[in-house]
Amino acid sequence: MLTNTNDRITTPQTAVAVTSIIIGIGILTLPRTVTEEVGTPDSWISVVLGGMVVMIIGIFMAKLSQMFPEKTIYEYSQLVVGKGLGKLFNLVLIIYFLLSVGLEIRVLAEVTNMYLLVKTPIEVTMIAIMSVCVYLVVGGINPMARLYELLLPVTIVIFLLVFLMGLKIFELNHLRPVMGDGFLPVLKGIQPTTFSYTGYESILILTAFMAEPKKAKKAVLIGIGASIVFYLVTVVMVVGALSADGVVTEIWPTITLFQSFEATGILFERYESFIFAIWILQIFTTFTSFFYFAALGLSQTSQKKISYSIYGLLPVIYLIATIPTNINEVFTLGDIVEYIFYGVVGITIILLIIAHFRRMHHESKG
Amino acid sequence: MTNSKKTMKPQKLQARKLETLKQKPHPNELQSSADQNVPDSKNVLPNNGLTDDLSSNLAVLKEKMGYQSDVRFSEFPLSNTEKQVALVYIDGLNDLTFINDYVIKPLKLYYSEQKESKEEQLENDCFIGIAKRAFLTGDGVEELTTFEQVIQAVYAGFTIMLLEGASSALKISAKKVKSRPLEEPITEATVKGPRIGFNETLSENTALLRLRVSDPQLTMTHFKVGRTNKDLVVVYMKDIANDELVREVQKRIKNIDIDDVAGSGYIEQLIEDDYLSPFPQVQDTERPDRFISSLMEGRVGILLDGSPFSLMVPATFSMFLQTPEDYYERWIPSSFIRLLRFFAALVSLFLPSIYIAFVSFHQGLIPTQLAISISATRESVPFPSVIEALIMEVAIEILREAGLRLPKTVGQTVGLVGGLVIGQAAVQAGIVSPIMVIVVSLTAISSFAIPQYSAGISLRLLRFGAMLFSALLGLFGVILFFLIIAIHFVKLKSFGVPYATPATPYRLGDWKDFIFRAPIFKMNSRPKMLFTKNTKRQSRRK
Repeated sequence: MLTNTNDRITTPQTAVAVTSIIIGIGILTLPRTVTEEVGTPDSWISVVLGGMVVMIIGIFMAKLSQMFPEKTIYEYSQLVVGKGLGKLFNLVLIIYFLLSVGLEIRVLAEVTNMYLLVKTPIEVTMIAIMSVCVYLVVGGINPMARLYELLLPVTIVIFLLVFLMGLKIFELNHLRPVMGDGFLPVLKGIQPTTFSYTGYESILILTAFMAEPKKAKKAVLIGIGASIVFYLVTVVMVVGALSADGVVTEIWPTITLFQSFEATGILFERYESFIFAIWILQIFTTFTSFFYFAALGLSQTSQKKISYSIYGLLPVIYLIATIPTNINEVFTLGDIVEYIFYGVVGITIILLIIAHFRRMHHESKG
Repeated sequence: MTNSKKTMKPQKLQARKLETLKQKPHPNELQSSADQNVPDSKNVLPNNGLTDDLSSNLAVLKEKMGYQSDVRFSEFPLSNTEKQVALVYIDGLNDLTFINDYVIKPLKLYYSEQKESKEEQLENDCFIGIAKRAFLTGDGVEELTTFEQVIQAVYAGFTIMLLEGASSALKISAKKVKSRPLEEPITEATVKGPRIGFNETLSENTALLRLRVSDPQLTMTHFKVGRTNKDLVVVYMKDIANDELVREVQKRIKNIDIDDVAGSGYIEQLIEDDYLSPFPQVQDTERPDRFISSLMEGRVGILLDGSPFSLMVPATFSMFLQTPEDYYERWIPSSFIRLLRFFAALVSLFLPSIYIAFVSFHQGLIPTQLAISISATRESVPFPSVIEALIMEVAIEILREAGLRLPKTVGQTVGLVGGLVIGQAAVQAGIVSPIMVIVVSLTAISSFAIPQYSAGISLRLLRFGAMLFSALLGLFGVILFFLIIAIHFVKLKSFGVPYATPATPYRLGDWKDFIFRAPIFKMNSRPKMLFTKNTKRQSRRK
């Protein structure tokens, strides 16, 4: 049949996927996590700078993947550093993805149960969303890419409309003075920001599915660029409305923003339900992708069918999601995931260097 | 022929049963043996040609078809000669006046004139030669040499003519088909469009297409489907439609193995990709204009004899929210109306579930004033909002179904009684709240705004799923249900084309004809999703 698009994703799809995967928990927590470190209203500068740092890492990752056409990192890691070390690295990556999925499903369930379904047990929420997640993941990368394309415009439109409503309590003074305490606090904010941008590492796997892998760098740049805008708007609006001091005391500052004003005269008075809706959609895209990446990694490392690893990993993820007993432990889990992530980035860069030299070696040989 | 594999076994079984039955004396024995001739006849005849003895030919034919009450055999001499002629035809299917005026009369005339001079030469001449010289309606005439061909032709509705001394028969096309005039289709009315629709006769429909598209690239390939040998035509533009697509359509049609296709809905269900999906994956239309414009986009059309509904593949969901009217009206109002339809589709799918979610889970999220007025009207209602919504939704679906099958005048009464009287009474009795009536009516009206009936049904069906999810998990449930539908939506393909196109994958060119409709002169390229052979819409070919 008209198979031109089968098993391959287009460049816009890759960019959209990168954005969709990046945007997740950060919409609700980033204003707090970054302002906690920065301590001044300059957190938005950190968001931009963090995004740029991430762009550089993203380019490195895209470059690495382009060296091995049609191979995911799980496959070429074994080529670069040998079977044993490669498998070990794959394991680290899989664990990172699994912990991320568990963490995000838990956060989703926590938020849902705090604001939407107060009386429903948290397990019900998690199992419900995981079932939907599996339904998408078994379809493979193509339906996922298409779904993200379907959801992103909806997200953008609702996001912008809702944040326009937030202008009602926005005060520019909350963002002043710009760099009143110098540049140092801004630098401190970069580290927590980079964690909110996690998801761009998906380019390590997505490149293998691209119809035009040459454009992987472009896709990852556009994808990260769009998420910088998302996060910038979020941080500016939330800090501008709640002030730097107000933000750090809230667990989910973005929701607090939308609970703290009423726009009468329009159909709705409060708009947090819209934020919930698009946030659930976007976090769904994030952990679905991570789930797929973990399952793909397991199947490519162990040479088994992917459906086995999808269904096999479900209970693992459920267990991870249920480990934290309260919201503080959830954030502790988040910190652990963050450290593993830095490990992943580090190993990737080492891989790039080794691959670079070995490839040079190969070229000179043949 | 494809039937044979599947039907073989049951036939054998039946035959065995018959044999055991036959051992007992049976009053209808003669009759049953005559019936058994029908499947046998094909096996006996294949190499059995016609002889030049008319009476023996007729005898064979009578033996094979004589038990059929509607097969007529008429034998008569050509007036001045001793030549005997016989006609075999099915009663009611053939225009006898035509046969008499244009076949028998010229033949008689021919023989009376030529008798003296060249009789011997004529005797040796083949029948078709005589026919061609005698009457000039040669195009509908064909020469048959075997009994099998003759029998098939008779059942296919042709008149068969046998002549004394000729070892062949003539197949004369004098079909008298009663067809409905080409009326405006009721299911797809337009304000400014042409007032013409397909009817049940295939040849008239194909003729209509040829009339409208005088382009040699318009290609029609003929198929026979089912045991009943229904005619089916696959239509496409040879230099536009993707070859693989055409092949796939033809392959799927060839694979159809069924007794009878009563309507094109059968074909639709037999060639669709995913039978478990609630969404229609083949588009049907009664409108030639719509059919032709989708051919020009690079789609493949299917026409079936006996059904005014033509099919078009591949179908994408946005097609079900479009009407031909969108192109006849100027682009600004058309775009607005399309936007309205997309909105209506969303409302008809999600409004009741969102209402349920807000009323029973998240009262805090609706404006205070509204919350107060809702709770005031719901005070006397004894049911939870889900039950209330289900009562009303089911009632309205039953009303709609009742109104649909009844004669128009009665249908209106049903709508009036059901909608106004019962609705009003239910509110006054305190069984449902007035706001629920508003929600349900809005939903119903929105679902009427979806131009294609089959798409409307699937949304109505999914609405109940949304209500269920919303009753269980509130707004979170609605979002989950939205995700489930969206996932199914992006997974689904119709003949290799993702069902969600052009919403995804992004192809900016295709967005010109999606939620908005660009001005016609701007839509100068064919939809990219169909991978057409030529991409520019234009009259001059390079």
